[in-house]
Amino acid sequence: MKQEQIKTLIDALAASDLAELEYSEDGSTLRLVKQSALTAAPAARRPAAVRKATAAVSAEPVPPAAAECLAPLYGVVHLQPALGEPPFVQPGQPVEAGQLLCVIEAMKMFNEVRADAAATLQAVLVRSGQEVEAGEPLFRFG
Amino acid sequence: MFDTVLIANRGEIALRILRACRGLGLRTVVAHSEADSEASYIAQADQALCIGPSAPGQSYLNQSALLFAAEVSGAQAIHPGYGFLSENAGFAARVEQAGLVFVGPSAACIRTMGDKVSAKRAMRKAGVPCVPGPDEALPQDPAAMLAIAHEIGYPVIVKAAGGGGGRGMRVVHDEAALLDAMALTREEARQAFGNPEVYIEKFLLHPRHVEIQVLADSHGNAVWLGSRDCSLQRRHQKVIEEAPAPGIDEALVAEVGERCAAACRQIGYCGVGTFEFLYEKGAFYFIEINTRLQVEHPVTEMTAGIDIVQQQLRMARGERLSLTQHEVRCQGHAIECRINAENPETFAPSPGRITGWQVPGGFGVRVDSHANAGYRVPPYYDSMIAKLIVHGSTRNDALERMRLALAEMRVEGLATNVPLHRELLRDEGFAVGGVDIHHLERWLQQRSAA
Repeated sequence: MKQEQIKTLIDALAASDLAELEYSEDGSTLRLVKQSALTAAPAARRPAAVRKATAAVSAEPVPPAAAECLAPLYGVVHLQPALGEPPFVQPGQPVEAGQLLCVIEAMKMFNEVRADAAATLQAVLVRSGQEVEAGEPLFRFG
Repeated sequence: MFDTVLIANRGEIALRILRACRGLGLRTVVAHSEADSEASYIAQADQALCIGPSAPGQSYLNQSALLFAAEVSGAQAIHPGYGFLSENAGFAARVEQAGLVFVGPSAACIRTMGDKVSAKRAMRKAGVPCVPGPDEALPQDPAAMLAIAHEIGYPVIVKAAGGGGGRGMRVVHDEAALLDAMALTREEARQAFGNPEVYIEKFLLHPRHVEIQVLADSHGNAVWLGSRDCSLQRRHQKVIEEAPAPGIDEALVAEVGERCAAACRQIGYCGVGTFEFLYEKGAFYFIEINTRLQVEHPVTEMTAGIDIVQQQLRMARGERLSLTQHEVRCQGHAIECRINAENPETFAPSPGRITGWQVPGGFGVRVDSHANAGYRVPPYYDSMIAKLIVHGSTRNDALERMRLALAEMRVEGLATNVPLHRELLRDEGFAVGGVDIHHLERWLQQRSAA
């Protein structure tokens, strides 16, 4: 995907009244979400994601595309084991149930965040070293 | 003599130092990280300087930034508090080289005492009782190592000379395991402390952790301010401390205390310090010196009636000790509970916003804390948000006061270990007094099994 192409998509999303836009080409996927959509309706989005994240026993059919992994606690997220090392997971990669996705550091303790179920990682929604709130979406799965 | 102090720390101890400075009419400059810029104590300082991002390595451990903050603010002294750079001899040396006062002992003294082998040697020389075992690093020769361990008698503990605070040590129960344990500890020590030197001591099975607070000036005077018992620990972290250590012969404590004060005079120690001992079967065994102010200093303040932080600053200003040993009178009993933002069952940290904050008060109750309602506990630092301290005429009086104080304490918005403290204050063993350093771990095991 070229930079101009991404810019065009951003402009297209901004000009529309869509909340998000997803575009795939040659195996790479770009997902754009409007800031207003993230801040305006988090309460509505999170419960659905929690249900998906907690168990497959949920009777309610949730479309798999909506699955998100949420931060279990407030802290600093680390996407790689150490500086200069490759990240735990990359977008587009399949993950197994129980696979380590990231680590959240809080008060000198490192809390591992693992995948609840097998899925394909679609997007990483946070930057390494960033502070995340409890319940904030970290990853999106397809 | 300095009139402006740079406080190179955060949280409750930054506020504690700030108050002590104010009491002495000293100007305060607080150096803080980005994460702490909203904390209310920052606004109480005469000047506040943001020295870097939230991660400690880029702020509270950033020596150059702290020295620069002192330079631009005109502070002539730096108080390191506890943790962070408080026992870093290299930092103390840089402060001295910059022509500033490091509020603590000299860099040379910190270096000697930071090396557990040279500290032990200095203590033996001063007549302070030590744990059986040589006061020199272990030789490389396996036969010589085995002979030393055999002479001490198993179980023994292999310790890193550069370690401390419960890090870099390994217990060995029999001869077969010694050489492997040695090699492993040596390698860990090389990586963790940059010093592969290890030494060996007798391993005591059921000791208590008892320590002596000392105060020394730069004119060769030193006093000791009584004992503390800090045996209630989880993973080498103290949870509850008290003063004095209960049930120990006063004459014996006085003898050991005198030896500590004498050792201070002998090594030219200046400032406040703590001699940590293991106490088992009526005997004291030196383990290490903390060359700094300690978290649990308030229990000694309450019993001795002395503002230890003000005294520390006075000593750093070159004043003479204003009291002699026979003027030190410890009265009653004091207990401190460390209030941490953590789950009281799982000990998982719980940083976040405090929505409700009601602290206990009244006669004999003291709360040292930088927190308040609306304060957001950052995830970058340790989890202690308050120290609840009580003083009573007797130990039972203090215990009862602590129970009431804990019942009064309310923290909303995040989990704290207040419920754990409430349970511990009902524990029979602790109420009797004199439990060993494994008591809390055993208690937790029993609780999870129940």
